[in-house]
Amino acid sequence: MTSLLSLERITKAYPGVLANDAVDFAVERGEIHALLGENGAGKSTLMKVLSGLTKPDSGQIVWKGDEIAITSPQASKALGIGMVHQHFALFDGMSVGENIALGLGSQLDATQRDRIIEMSEKYGLPLDPDALVFTLSAGEKQRIEIVRALLGEPELLILDEPTSVLTPQEADALFATLRLLKEEGRGLVFISHKLNEVRALCERATILRGGKVVATCVPAGKTAEEIAEMMIGTRPVPAAKGAQNLGETTLSVRDLVTSDISIPHLAVRQGEIVGVAGVAGNGQEALYAYLAGEELAPSASAVRLNGVDAGRFGPSERRALGAAFVPEERLGHAAVPDFSLIDNTLLSNLGTDGFQKRGLINWRVVREHAVEVCDGYDVRHAGVTGRAGSLSGGNLQKFIVGRELIKHPEVLIVNQPTWGVDMGSATNIRDQLKALAESGSAVLVISQDLDELFDLADTLCVLNHGHLSESRETREWTAETLGVAMTGNAQGQAAA
Amino acid sequence: MIRLIPRTQFGFWATAFPLILALSITVVVGFLVMVAMSEQPLSDTWTLLTFPWQARTASVQWGFVLQKSSYLAIMAVGLSIGYRANVWNIGAEGQFAFGSILAFGAYVLFGMPDTVWFLPVMLLFGVLGGVAWALIPAALRVWANTNELLTSLMLVYVAANVLNYVTTGPWKGDPKAGQAESDPIHESLRIASIIERTDFHWGVIISAGAILVLACVVLFTTFGYSLRVAQNTPRAQKFAGFSPQMTVWMSFVLSGATAGLAGAIFLSAETGKLIQSENYLNGLGFTAIVIAFLGRLHPIGIVAAALLISYVNVGATYVQSASQVDDSVAELVQVTALFAVLGTAFLSRYRVVFGRPDLSTEGAA
Repeated sequence: MTSLLSLERITKAYPGVLANDAVDFAVERGEIHALLGENGAGKSTLMKVLSGLTKPDSGQIVWKGDEIAITSPQASKALGIGMVHQHFALFDGMSVGENIALGLGSQLDATQRDRIIEMSEKYGLPLDPDALVFTLSAGEKQRIEIVRALLGEPELLILDEPTSVLTPQEADALFATLRLLKEEGRGLVFISHKLNEVRALCERATILRGGKVVATCVPAGKTAEEIAEMMIGTRPVPAAKGAQNLGETTLSVRDLVTSDISIPHLAVRQGEIVGVAGVAGNGQEALYAYLAGEELAPSASAVRLNGVDAGRFGPSERRALGAAFVPEERLGHAAVPDFSLIDNTLLSNLGTDGFQKRGLINWRVVREHAVEVCDGYDVRHAGVTGRAGSLSGGNLQKFIVGRELIKHPEVLIVNQPTWGVDMGSATNIRDQLKALAESGSAVLVISQDLDELFDLADTLCVLNHGHLSESRETREWTAETLGVAMTGNAQGQAAA
Repeated sequence: MIRLIPRTQFGFWATAFPLILALSITVVVGFLVMVAMSEQPLSDTWTLLTFPWQARTASVQWGFVLQKSSYLAIMAVGLSIGYRANVWNIGAEGQFAFGSILAFGAYVLFGMPDTVWFLPVMLLFGVLGGVAWALIPAALRVWANTNELLTSLMLVYVAANVLNYVTTGPWKGDPKAGQAESDPIHESLRIASIIERTDFHWGVIISAGAILVLACVVLFTTFGYSLRVAQNTPRAQKFAGFSPQMTVWMSFVLSGATAGLAGAIFLSAETGKLIQSENYLNGLGFTAIVIAFLGRLHPIGIVAAALLISYVNVGATYVQSASQVDDSVAELVQVTALFAVLGTAFLSRYRVVFGRPDLSTEGAA
């Protein structure tokens, strides 16, 4: 029997990089096929070929035994290929039904509405067609995207990092849906960085590295470490957690209650990494802003840094107390995309010794500092005068983290340290954070990635509906208890 | 098929190429305008380009150019500070008027002293007048979130009417004059020419000095850096620890100060008295906005643009008197230059590549 889809020797070159190098990839009917690889391995390019966004330089696309060309996204949809993107393309102010109808290029009428309800019941994707999108959780928004794709009756459904925004429970529900779709004989392509999910869900996995297929395997037959090794080439060094000699509390929050957040107590000691878990949109941005001084706390004593009441201090004054900050958004918050790396180095170093002389910026010193950050933290770049926006996500993140680490801050606050970063860079960044804590600094990591928190944190707490839970040692938590804490709403309502 | 590819490096050419292209477009279109408006386009264009040497005394013509460009440049540099940070003061004309009014007001207030030593005080009050007038839209923006484009523009007309009031009311001078005007200030307070019988006066030097100071502030200080950050990404501004409100205040203070200084110099050097607004305000504050953008908001570019546009303006006046070509040719050239500079600005961020259409250019993985 012929495969549902088979890509043969697909090659696609971009200026300076061979994104796909003779890639073979086949999906059968009734199969969930994982596509694995670091950022930049060529997954996105391959999916762009399938969705008609780009044409390969050479190679063949064989769909149900016939060689075809996919010339446009419309052609791809017409063939029966559906996509669920990582980033939602939804209008917040419109209802669920309107969003779905809009995506299909039709009006929302009674038959459309019935089909939406029918589809959502059949596949266990509960949706209210009249709910407004901005009131929904990430999981519900994703259901809209899936239902929208399914209404096109796809024979092949591609899901790009579908679980990155979901709680463990929401992810389990998604897997049930995907298995149902598989049993109907559809082919599914599952793109993910989470190897345990891939091992539980997928029949086969194709692993890309540097644009080439390095292996096709049955993921359940391999350990996560073995798959990771195939993806990044070298075995990630497991972190050896040394015995902790925790010092004094250098960062503490007490009774910080505002309209968007409620933190009864939080303390980070010297040498400690405290993790804040939580699903996206539960107050992480606000927590970061209050800690970094981008928002001022209602009272000075709400945030204490190195023994000083710092709640009413701005970012510069907090930096002067030995704190450093890494926000979530790389472009437009932590770095200015159109600035060179030199200009961007100054961004968090306005008060650093030597950067200014008699009110004038000493650009020579800034430049030397930028070079030091890039050399010291493995930032691959085309020159420090190049735009920050032209760096890859991983390299820019290494730059942004390195810019703070080089100062050896006594307190470091990081929001999503490895979000959307390739595995090699992520490992590198985590090792650097551990090293900083081991040298006696206090580190607070806000993250949605539980694996990351289990790897990094000595102590964990959970942010849910803006309310921060009590901290407990990491080994007292399990994925299940964390999942419940991340989705339960008893405390959350008290906070609201 | 033409494609645009973002530049990753900003070298000399990234800046120079769009400017050379814009200048070429302006020259070509300017010549076509001349062909349409003149009976002997070749010789009139030649006159326009070389007028200082055609005139009886070149130094007089150069004096006109320097004098006019000094007002435009000082105000444009002030405005560009806010524009760099997306703070849009378009009311320099009003701040210019208020600078003149307060400078004259100081003269009246201090009992019309007849000594050159009072000149700095007059200039200082001019600066204060410009700042005071600029602080109104700044305060409205910061405290009431009002759009500063509208408020700063409307205050131009308020300032013009204040000028009309003082010249017809409290400071009314010679009733037999053909226009509403104040009494003239003492000769000792008139800024002197550096070169005899030309408009090249000490006010030009004062403006140049102020431009130099502001250029250093914009290019080499943390404040200048904060403006660049604010222009690109407001959130990065907060990350760095800059206050967005402070950016608004400072932008208006500096642009108001330059416009007020220009107003005081104008009063002392050109008219020596306040005149009703129709005959006193001649749109320098508005032209300065054009100059700021022609100079791509960079101090050096602004000075170059001010000199170039003033040269064309004075030249057009000369051609008009010499051969009946309407001097509106200057405005057409100015507008062409503005379109050309703004229209080619994107080339400093993108490279143009001619070639086969290719869907894949957006995202090399």
